[in-house]
Amino acid sequence: MIVEPRGVGRDARAAVIATLAFVIAVALLPPGSYLALLLAWMLLAFAGALLGISPTRLARRGLVALPFIVAAIPIVFLRNDELLWAGSVGPLNLQVSGAGLRIALTALLKAWISVQASVLLLALASAPSIVTALRRMRLPDVIATSAGLTIRYLELLRDEARRMLRARTARSASPLGVGREQIGGTIAWRARTTGSLVGSLFLRAYSRAQRIEEAAASRGATGSLSIGTMPTADSRLTLKVVGVLLLVLIITLCGALLPRL
Amino acid sequence: MYPQLHIPDGFLSPQISLLLWVATALLIGIAVRKTSRTDVQLITSQPILMGVLGAFIFAAQMFNFPVATGTSGHLLGGVLAGYLLGPWAGTIVMATVVGIQALLFQDGGLLALGANIFNMGIIGTLGGSFVARGIGTALGSSRSVTIFGAGAAAWLAVVAAAGFTTLQLGLSGTTNVAVGLPAMLGVHALIGIGEALITVAALTFIAQTAPDILSGIASPPKASPVRRMAIGLVIAGGVAMFASLFASADPDGLEAVAEQLGFLNKGVDAPFELFPDYTIPGLDGTASTAAAGVVGMIVVIGLLLVFARIARSRSNS
Repeated sequence: MIVEPRGVGRDARAAVIATLAFVIAVALLPPGSYLALLLAWMLLAFAGALLGISPTRLARRGLVALPFIVAAIPIVFLRNDELLWAGSVGPLNLQVSGAGLRIALTALLKAWISVQASVLLLALASAPSIVTALRRMRLPDVIATSAGLTIRYLELLRDEARRMLRARTARSASPLGVGREQIGGTIAWRARTTGSLVGSLFLRAYSRAQRIEEAAASRGATGSLSIGTMPTADSRLTLKVVGVLLLVLIITLCGALLPRL
Repeated sequence: MYPQLHIPDGFLSPQISLLLWVATALLIGIAVRKTSRTDVQLITSQPILMGVLGAFIFAAQMFNFPVATGTSGHLLGGVLAGYLLGPWAGTIVMATVVGIQALLFQDGGLLALGANIFNMGIIGTLGGSFVARGIGTALGSSRSVTIFGAGAAAWLAVVAAAGFTTLQLGLSGTTNVAVGLPAMLGVHALIGIGEALITVAALTFIAQTAPDILSGIASPPKASPVRRMAIGLVIAGGVAMFASLFASADPDGLEAVAEQLGFLNKGVDAPFELFPDYTIPGLDGTASTAAAGVVGMIVVIGLLLVFARIARSRSNS
């Protein structure tokens, strides 16, 4: 979340490029290159340590992407190559494909590592400074302004939503009460209640937008808000990008050279 | 039951990811151009409204309503954004939301962001909004009819986004389309009902409490009966084609295409290989491999302990 202003006023372009390049390098690793993935993760863990994030904490942050593995489960059982095991469980005839297992496991590890890379990006550069960096990298003005404002008002409106949800809970629109008795009306009624909350949140957001607009206009804004002041350009950007490309090359080489399973 | 539409990195092949990045960039580019010379100016500064409504969509996604124990209706918000802001501006807002979800909350990957914006922003918002407009125009453009159209489009948008997500995963070789597609479409057909109900209820609420805000939003132009029929037929035909595409999505055919294009195996092969038989010279034999493994593990654990120490001293200072 956007609490900590580390890196404000710094050019975050190098950090953004490094993260993207790292994620691409990891994505390009062939299935089964577990050693190369381990190496890539060790690089991340080292960078995390330099930023004051311990490997265990970083590893735990990476877990958010794991539920998506559901999508890859079918290929473990439905591919017909490199069968590791085949048999029947109850009425089901099951087979486990080694190739499928390898693809699923690699996808899982890549997702886990890539999430940690973006965690580090956020530790390295604040959200607004990332938007500023993207804008410097030719992100259209409308998107940059809109993204900057979204980040700015995100917590405010989420807080508002949280309060509305709490108020709803207090008036109970949940289907089952403590004694499992049916309360809170039909599904259509519950949907209408929730929709009305969304509608009234929209009205609050809309009037806030109007107030912001008035405030901005009274300060002479012209429609494109500059998000903070542009930080001075990173003088060592080229050097850093070269370093990043070297890192990508190392990871790719490791993927090609290290033994795979 | 939450929509599973934010693809993390690692599940899409690089080729598919890049392809969808290009498609997304092109369409968002068009959207940027359209919004910069739009005449739908609710308040003088469109970017401010778009930014705040981006945060609104974010917050609105927190609202869920219990359907049964363990299952809840949930809002994605694409068609809602498209209705409130117009298709193009809504698409930009949705793309921003998906991007920020990836960046700040690690919800969806960075390389996969092109695909995620494509599915939720382009298909879910732009496509959904046009369907909503079309339905509204075909049925007569009254407020209640356009809101009904938005509800129907919201359902379709969620299901279509789920379908495209599965097809992309299938082309990347990470899922089996024959099993994955019915499962994803089935689950999202249910989730879509929640989306549709919330969208309709929210728009109805806004139309009743603040009709002036909604009337500032371009409603579809009045059309002649013949034109209405034509638009209705086009939409019905499109939906039918889309549905049959999914119903008949020949998974073997799809996999054959993937194989022909080289997605299944190209992503698998490294650019070059020095040790094709997976052994390191001088490290033959199980005993030496095992020894190397143990040494390697000790080195890794030792390094991690050092990292932990560095982290502690760094965060204290």
